[in-house]
Amino acid sequence: MQFEKQVEILAPREKVWKFIWDIDRFIACVPGCKDAKTVEEGKRYSATMVERVGPFKVEFPTTIEVLEREELTHIKAQASGADNKIGSRMKIDLDVNLREQDNMTVVSFIAGVDILGKLAALGHGIIKRKADQVLDQFAQAVKTTLEGDQ
Amino acid sequence: MLRRFRLEEPESVAEVSELLGRFGDSAKVYAGGTELLLAMKEGLIQYERLINIKKLKGLGEVAGDNGTIKIGALCTHRQLETSSLLQEKLPSLVKLEQNVANVRVRQAGSLGGNLCFAEPHADPGTLLMALGATMIAEKTSGKREIAAEDFFVDAYETSLQADELLTEIRVPSPGADRRSAYLKFGYLERPSVGVAVALTLNGTTVNDVKIAVGCAGPAPKRVAEAEVLLAGKSKDEAVRLLPQAGAIAGRASEAISDLHGAQDYKEHIVGVLLKRAFNSIVS
Repeated sequence: MQFEKQVEILAPREKVWKFIWDIDRFIACVPGCKDAKTVEEGKRYSATMVERVGPFKVEFPTTIEVLEREELTHIKAQASGADNKIGSRMKIDLDVNLREQDNMTVVSFIAGVDILGKLAALGHGIIKRKADQVLDQFAQAVKTTLEGDQ
Repeated sequence: MLRRFRLEEPESVAEVSELLGRFGDSAKVYAGGTELLLAMKEGLIQYERLINIKKLKGLGEVAGDNGTIKIGALCTHRQLETSSLLQEKLPSLVKLEQNVANVRVRQAGSLGGNLCFAEPHADPGTLLMALGATMIAEKTSGKREIAAEDFFVDAYETSLQADELLTEIRVPSPGADRRSAYLKFGYLERPSVGVAVALTLNGTTVNDVKIAVGCAGPAPKRVAEAEVLLAGKSKDEAVRLLPQAGAIAGRASEAISDLHGAQDYKEHIVGVLLKRAFNSIVS
């Protein structure tokens, strides 16, 4: 499943960039994400992703690896995790790009989300919709947090 | 394999509500089990407690009373397809029930369970919306009525509160001129699209139109915009407007692309089924 999102934030690019690397504040914007930890500064992080669709609940202990980093411009990362209780795995390939436009920072991201295992029984459509909702909430939370800092 | 759980066997609705309130997310109401137990066997959901409501009295009957048909939440699909009262008053519901899954599922699965599990590809919720049904939700402190269109919130989610139990489904008893139909289409185990239409035919005029679509999106939906378009029109004019009503209903279905079909395909099928369902009850 491929998702493309864009969010315009009324804040300088340096501030947005700094925010992305402030793991606690950043993770607070990811719905259902908790227990974020820095394993290796700027390279490797861990967290737990908890999501639910009705009564179906998944908890993915997740490792996030930063694969590429271009100062103020670009981040490529991969998040992966498994919920052994329900026998499911997820992998997210994330491409984040930042650019300045007028007095705003435009953050665009492409997320390739793969869900494997029993959770797939819920149906591709339902999972895709849920992932889309999570990404929208995340984008909105980032915008609200950063613009609230003004 | 089904993991261990504790089985609670309350004897009253108040007791069920109290157990639901006390154990929260770790407990679930168990009626027919045709959806719940499958999900539990697959390991997709785990509950420490199942609250067996099959022994509760008074929730397994169909009765007509003062212009309302009351269907107990524990009525099985099989009971509904063979009910003489429903055969007389709500033949569209009987036809729907005859085509739910297979006879083994219909024999065990309950209407209440079907509605509460809110599986997106389930049939009954869509027709019940068009029939103007209301759901009776009870808990320790009282009961309330929920319109069918307000009952379904999202995929697998209803507006029932954590300590509420669905006890009854009420359908207004249709008058002699009231007609309804439910049509579905699919090529997998569950339907890709379901469309329900109900209307009153006064002479050649179509009135009080209710349209609902289901299975295509996360939850069944009433389509007020399409209803308004057709209501008050002559039969012929309404038939001419069906493609427009179908397009509106298709968009309203919030169709999701999945193995059951692409979004635009499902939207198209909504229009086809709406046309067929409408024609079947006005001709």
